[in-house]
Amino acid sequence: MPMRKTITVATVAISALLLQSCGAFNWNQEAPYTQVMAWGEKGDQPGQFNDPTGIAVTATEVFVADARNSRIQVFDKNGNFRRSFGQDQLERPMNLSIANERLYVPDYFKDVVHVFSIDGRYLTAIESEDPFNSPAGASAFADGSLLVADTYGQRVVHVSTEGEIRNIWSGKGIWSGEFNYPTDVAISPKGGFYVADGYNDRVQQFNANGEYVRKWGGPFGLNIYGPFKGWFATVTSITVGPEGNVFVADFYNDRIQKFTSDGIYLTSFGNSSGKPGQTEIAVAVDGDGTVWTANFADNHIEKWRPKKK
Amino acid sequence: MKKIFYALLLSVTLIGAAIADTRYSMRVDGLACPYCAYGIEKKLNQVEGVTDIDIDLNKGLVSVIVTEGVELSEPEMEKLFDDAGFTFRSMEKETI
Repeated sequence: MPMRKTITVATVAISALLLQSCGAFNWNQEAPYTQVMAWGEKGDQPGQFNDPTGIAVTATEVFVADARNSRIQVFDKNGNFRRSFGQDQLERPMNLSIANERLYVPDYFKDVVHVFSIDGRYLTAIESEDPFNSPAGASAFADGSLLVADTYGQRVVHVSTEGEIRNIWSGKGIWSGEFNYPTDVAISPKGGFYVADGYNDRVQQFNANGEYVRKWGGPFGLNIYGPFKGWFATVTSITVGPEGNVFVADFYNDRIQKFTSDGIYLTSFGNSSGKPGQTEIAVAVDGDGTVWTANFADNHIEKWRPKKK
Repeated sequence: MKKIFYALLLSVTLIGAAIADTRYSMRVDGLACPYCAYGIEKKLNQVEGVTDIDIDLNKGLVSVIVTEGVELSEPEMEKLFDDAGFTFRSMEKETI
């Protein structure tokens, strides 16, 4: 009898540990966000989109990668169209980022990262000395050097503004520090960076020295997808908010998930589409905590605010 | 006169058939998101004679139109999809 009791206790303990590692005991630490605005529809006119795949914001404007229209569209914070640019340079723009008064646009088809001024002047295209293979995300350091999520290259590359390689994190696989079609990268203001490890259905964190810190998403962060809190089903975009929280586009779950800088789950929110296809593909966060998302299936741009307590 | 008309008609039909484009409909496993679709699109765009590509992620269907005289072979497509990270299942050919 005591033996049976011990086995039962051990089984319960192991199950609880497994469930905990799987996120089963996660609950919303914060209230979900509320959508306060949306605009857009399918098309090629100003204010229309054909596959929005990336989004970035400044204090006054919203920048959208309008992938199949091969352009960047810019809107004010009320969704009013302001300008578009890039049609002479871009082929398939993906996740956007803004830093140093520059807009960085990885081009999935041209294998470069285009650099524009905020007002839309074309500045340069950064190529890697070891060529990129479908880059989908880029994040700039203060010196203008870039971390690039090189999706088909199965790597993250740190390149100078001249394209010289400073560091590479590479290797296809599910173990720590390996990737499975990384789709985006975000530099943390605290130092270090996060990688949206797309088809591994997880986030990987690295410190300022480029050393692996942790991974999260599903059981042990080992490429097991699912709909539970803290799990993912194809990670397509990542950004860091003003308080250091990490926002992740969880494409096949039609949601954005928010975590602490250490990967603790906080909340999630998003829309499902009435049409076939998935929605929340890209995410950006304002200085005031407002979240902006690109909804792929509906060709929408969405604005989200934290629910008031 | 009638003979000439029918001969002309036949010629026009044959010429039309000869310059017809071809649509290949391919079933592919592993398509998960636009990143997949764009990866395939990029590779197919590099194949000479491809004029149109349509990818239905939900059905796992890739439709490619090629110009007259261009043939896509199953081994060639199997390799292309394998290189892009997907599994080629089958291909159907149709003159359009």
